[in-house]
Amino acid sequence: MRMGSLLSLVPNKVFPIKPTYTMSGAKDRMRHKKMRNQPSNVTYSHTGRSSDSQQQQQMRGLTQHPSSWMRGHQDGGVRHEQALPKYITASLFAKARAAEVNAMLRAVTKTTGSSQVFGALPKHMRRRAMSHNTKRLPCRLREMAQRMLEKSQQAGKKEKKKQSKTKSRRARRRHGNLLLEFNRRQRKNKWLETHIWHAKRFHMLKKWGYCLGDRPTYKCYRASYRAMNSGCLLQDLSYYCCVELRGPEEQLLNALSRLTSKDAGPTFAAASCVSGQKEGSVMLYKADQYPHQPLGPVCFLWRPCSTTSPHRQLWIWLHPSLKQDLLPELQAVCQCFEAVAPAVVEVVPSENLAEASPIPPAPSDLSSEPQCSKRKRKVEADDENGCPAKKIVGDGTRSLSTPVSWMSSTTEIVISDLTMEIVRYRLIGPLSHSVLTEILVPATDCENNIKMTSSPFWWPEECKKEESMSLHRQQTDVFQLLRGVYSTAELPAGCVLGLTVDDPRLSLPAKRGKAMPDLHRTQGVDEEGRRNLTLRGVPSPCAQSALWEKSVRENVTNNKISEQDLNRMKRELLVPGSRLLTPAQSRVPILLVNQAGKQLGEERLGWGSGWDLLLPKGWGMAFWVPLVYCGVRVGGLQMSLKHCQNKSVPHFPHDYPDCPAGVRFQEQQEIELLEKFKRHPPSKRTNYIKYGCVAPFRCPWQQLVEEWEERVNQDSKTVEMKDVTSLSGDSPNPASAFTVLRSRKVLRQLSVWCRPSSSHPRRAPSGCRAPPLCPIVTISLQAEWKRCLLWVRVCALSKGQPALHAMLCVPTTEDLQRLREDPQWSGPQEPQHTDHLKHQLKRKGKRGEAALCCSALKKEQDCNIPENDDVSSASEKEKNPELVPINQHSGPSLVLRDPLPEPSAAVTTDPGNSRVESLSITGCSNSDLVQGLWTELLPNMLSHCTRMTLGWVVQGDFSLATGTGEALGFVSLAGLLQTLLRQSADQRGIVLLRNPTSLQYRFARLHIEA
Amino acid sequence: MAEPRSQVSASVSQKSLGFSASEGPAAEMDPVEYTLRKRLPRKLPKRRNDVYINMKTDFKAQLARCQKLLDGGAGHREICIHGLGLAINRAINIALQLQAFSQGALQLAANTSTVELIDDLEPEDPDEAGEPLTRTRNNSAIHIKVFYPSA
Repeated sequence: MRMGSLLSLVPNKVFPIKPTYTMSGAKDRMRHKKMRNQPSNVTYSHTGRSSDSQQQQQMRGLTQHPSSWMRGHQDGGVRHEQALPKYITASLFAKARAAEVNAMLRAVTKTTGSSQVFGALPKHMRRRAMSHNTKRLPCRLREMAQRMLEKSQQAGKKEKKKQSKTKSRRARRRHGNLLLEFNRRQRKNKWLETHIWHAKRFHMLKKWGYCLGDRPTYKCYRASYRAMNSGCLLQDLSYYCCVELRGPEEQLLNALSRLTSKDAGPTFAAASCVSGQKEGSVMLYKADQYPHQPLGPVCFLWRPCSTTSPHRQLWIWLHPSLKQDLLPELQAVCQCFEAVAPAVVEVVPSENLAEASPIPPAPSDLSSEPQCSKRKRKVEADDENGCPAKKIVGDGTRSLSTPVSWMSSTTEIVISDLTMEIVRYRLIGPLSHSVLTEILVPATDCENNIKMTSSPFWWPEECKKEESMSLHRQQTDVFQLLRGVYSTAELPAGCVLGLTVDDPRLSLPAKRGKAMPDLHRTQGVDEEGRRNLTLRGVPSPCAQSALWEKSVRENVTNNKISEQDLNRMKRELLVPGSRLLTPAQSRVPILLVNQAGKQLGEERLGWGSGWDLLLPKGWGMAFWVPLVYCGVRVGGLQMSLKHCQNKSVPHFPHDYPDCPAGVRFQEQQEIELLEKFKRHPPSKRTNYIKYGCVAPFRCPWQQLVEEWEERVNQDSKTVEMKDVTSLSGDSPNPASAFTVLRSRKVLRQLSVWCRPSSSHPRRAPSGCRAPPLCPIVTISLQAEWKRCLLWVRVCALSKGQPALHAMLCVPTTEDLQRLREDPQWSGPQEPQHTDHLKHQLKRKGKRGEAALCCSALKKEQDCNIPENDDVSSASEKEKNPELVPINQHSGPSLVLRDPLPEPSAAVTTDPGNSRVESLSITGCSNSDLVQGLWTELLPNMLSHCTRMTLGWVVQGDFSLATGTGEALGFVSLAGLLQTLLRQSADQRGIVLLRNPTSLQYRFARLHIEA
Repeated sequence: MAEPRSQVSASVSQKSLGFSASEGPAAEMDPVEYTLRKRLPRKLPKRRNDVYINMKTDFKAQLARCQKLLDGGAGHREICIHGLGLAINRAINIALQLQAFSQGALQLAANTSTVELIDDLEPEDPDEAGEPLTRTRNNSAIHIKVFYPSA
């Protein structure tokens, strides 16, 4: 009996509780784990008493409801002790106990799933890497450990099997298979010819349908700047698209003039460009829409007039993101709608030529025959296997089947898309011409015996024509003159030089060196010729090149000697290391285009000038490697952005917010920045509302110009000049979108106004021509250019490193006064704003967790105590808390505003705005409310902070060129004029700069470069 | 160099321009508005002991630089100070200061020369005017050799 009572205590200790308790999930899981290997038959088979049967039921309930287990002794256990049985049947009892003991023994011997075998080992017997080598375990555990090891290995294999490759690595790396793989990987984003070179060294980005290198993986930011500043930086710009227009000159000019305006600078018809002597750049607009609906900037190059054809040829180079906008517009303007079928011509000639080439092209060249036969075999092999060889045709912005050429039924213009047909490299820096003279060797003349026979290659044919040879000699002379030039900036901007050169791989230096201008060679150059070159540029006939001819381009591309053959030829040379005889097919027509450096403004003139190298496709790597061997640095997209920034030129598509491509870019950028922002944990995110930063990820330009326009109208109403206002302000076109001011005349006038008058007393003649800054002029200017943004450069006066989307603000008169007294003053501070959206967010969070429960509770409270006033009012407040804080917030900001005459209307509109916004917030709060960010509807941004916002920075960084923070951005034209009018003459053009993550304003000087 | 490197908008009639070369059709054209853009003066290879004086850098800094070249670890026996146009004055000033600081140890040898500068004249209305014009003008330069006499 005693023993029985003792034993009967056991189940009580194990399950001492009633099943009604609730508990959390973690405990639940833990219990489940512990109980997994417990015997399930720990039951009383005895059913004698009601209390026992109750217990039994409870226990069954327990196993079914594992959530009802709890550790520790509970009150419920007491009840069982009271209900101890008075007698037990021995046999049944013993059976039950035996079952328990059995179960217990089984539980002890069985390992739980999670524990390793070594879990069973005492600590002092554990050894290093036991799971790896089972022999380190004691014998008795080895077997089990071995089993587990196998199991884990199998599990790992299964994961890998999913992505297993059917072929061995050796098979995969075979040339044909590798090319197939490359083609597959290029299906979505095309590769440039230098892709593999770049992919080994650069962080690659998939952009605009291409894989492009962004920046090198090694540290070279400063070194790249130095290269641009005093050496040479190389970029692959082959992703730029080239569109060819062909037709009579007048028709082309007439058609294209609808896209441009003389007001914004030289157009397609600029005299020096039409002659083909210079490359021009122009801003394009939708047909007859100037100054509205801009499309984007392009470069263009006319082919010099040739006597043979009355038609002119024009290449337009454009950014790939611009292509989808511009191409339809070009077609519309030229009335070219009839697509010319993408002839099979693209593919056929390669085979034809390859089959035609077995005639040994150069009998003197020993190695050419095996090479040709080899190629033929390769072509055949390709045909047999049906696997396409790597096609050099193709580009990222269209599929192969879409037409690439359009002709017109009414005019004679033909548009063809030459994207990826021409390789374009850009060399930036004062030494870029030295690099070019280092690697390029003007084509040598052909041997006489080849001249007699007809040849499948273009150069021997060319050699037969006397005029082309004289042109070649002329071009060679000009090219030799380049050696005498010390800096690329000395040459006239945009000049073009056509040239035919030998394959640069033939003269590849054995060692990588650095190209330097050579003093000795400089002295050899004819001084008079050099002077003529720098003064007048390359004479226009020298701009002619065979690169313009499609047939020549194809010939050259298809007959390129492969790297392998070239190496074999080098190996077979009698004297190792000596220069190869030039094979007949290795002459390449190229174009060299000078790129102007910084032309506008006062500082760093001529900075960042360089040369563009245009090559036929397929020859990219052949020129790239020798260029790199000359010690140039290679930059990516990041460096082209920095290049533009130092030249203070807008970079497409980043800095064209009024162009469709720019808008797309901004949207993309906003998404990316927001993603990045949301990757931080909420507690580590910047609260932009507290910093008073309305739009940290995207600049709402439209709202800015509209608000400034409104304000200016109100100002002018309150002040005077009602007649002008009625002319300008009362007919606002709400639909009109903002544009960027690109009229050269207006820009020049503004740039004079922005200068502080005292600093340049010598500039009097230029100042007197432009009308002095006065309200009447500005009002007429504003009337003419409504909703305009201005591209400005901002230099920090002392400290401050502007970041992306930093605010440009108007300094108050007190600020300027203090700055005058203390030039070292760092600037005013913005008081911290209150985050009124926080309540919204908190409520949202609560709602998410226990919405039902809360609402039920609230209802209950409301029903139960309706007389309790303060509770109900509190809940009222909770319902729309955003109303109160906004008003609280907008109050001080109004008080703190600058002393500009405050139009009363603005004050009245402000709360209205906020109310509308608050309503909208309650409407959309559930969808996209992120802490620290404004929702879709922004507040009045002009007067959101204590200093009025003029605009935002789109590119800002510490400038290595000036040694201070420097930024490029846009400001509202109306706002800037207002600001300038209020500033005294000696402090004109001083603005405040504030980063989105800072409350500190910094003084900066604003420049308009025109 | 000391060139004021800004382009100046100026209305120039073509007749008044001294062209370096005879421009054929220039004579009968109407006065067109041009934008004057000055190109940088021609650069020549620079040795380590060449100092080009400009008007942008602080005077003291340029003086210190010359001083450092003369007596620093570089230890040049002579340096060459070049000044163009407005900077001639400053170049002379620096050379004299160097001499004064050296208590007579340094000697000066000055040379003058003429540098040919190129201006681009960009027509305001590029479509109508002929090709953009360039003209050359001359500016004075000074080259001062500052050296320790080899006694």
